[in-house]
Amino acid sequence: NYDPRRVCLNPFPEISLGKHRRTVGVYLAGALFALANWTFLDAAILSAHARSPWGQPDTPPPVHVTFVDWIPGICSLLGYLVINMIDKDRVRGDEGFGDSRAVWRARLFLFIGFALMAGGLAGSVTVLILKYILNGYPEQFTYYGYANVSQSVALMLSAIVLWIAQSASSEYEYNLTL
Amino acid sequence: MAAGLRTVILLSFVLAVGFLLIILSCALWHNWLPLLVALFFFEALTFVLAPLPNALFAHCGSDEYGESSGPVDLGRFFTSIVVVSGFALPIILAHSEVIDPKACAMSIIGGGLVYGTILAYSAAFSQEDSEYE
Repeated sequence: NYDPRRVCLNPFPEISLGKHRRTVGVYLAGALFALANWTFLDAAILSAHARSPWGQPDTPPPVHVTFVDWIPGICSLLGYLVINMIDKDRVRGDEGFGDSRAVWRARLFLFIGFALMAGGLAGSVTVLILKYILNGYPEQFTYYGYANVSQSVALMLSAIVLWIAQSASSEYEYNLTL
Repeated sequence: MAAGLRTVILLSFVLAVGFLLIILSCALWHNWLPLLVALFFFEALTFVLAPLPNALFAHCGSDEYGESSGPVDLGRFFTSIVVVSGFALPIILAHSEVIDPKACAMSIIGGGLVYGTILAYSAAFSQEDSEYE
């Protein structure tokens, strides 16, 4: 059922998993979410308790986690919130219920959410390269940048897992009710 | 009934050992930050128990929808966040050398024991309920 008027098709994964898969998916998404934020907080706490680099006990630590490092994570978190607040059935394009503008608006907000998450990821990579790698800090301090990137990646994975888990279950319900 | 009694005694013993480990991990190094972990696991208790009645009601109300409602998912999501936080916190504190690595290991094991006890206890209780019905 291909509609040529639609420019942007949303290929939802048509997976019909059991009930337990949904539960496991939600748990997994929560674990990834917590892991993402704790990874970055680890870097922040480590920076707050930073010691001098290995070998030279007299020099102070050359770099700290500042507000710049927090921005990508905040963007990713906002995107995560926006994506998960959208009713999945609206985006799916069942225009039978409600007004048809709702579908359009839901897709717009979904786009904004994904753009925020992708922006967070891109921003974290930017911070990693510009602030840590190009300045040639020792590995002890580049870890802050890597933690930032892994926070964004884990948040994205968490959103994907949560989305798949929830849409898989709705498929299951649909099969059951028919 | 005797088996149930034995289970309860065993569980309480494990719970006591878990608390002992957490308290020791704080007291031996005169650093009471690991106690935060216990707090997290108590929150985990609340979050595990909170969605439980919700799921039961969903089952009772309508069979065709199963137990897949939004609030239940939210409860599970927060449960797993809190549990992972409980394990991650001592590791992070040990990583930045706020607490000793040994204190980290002790508080993780203690927290795991406490949380496992809570899980086992609630599982035993729900089983008993279904037997009565």
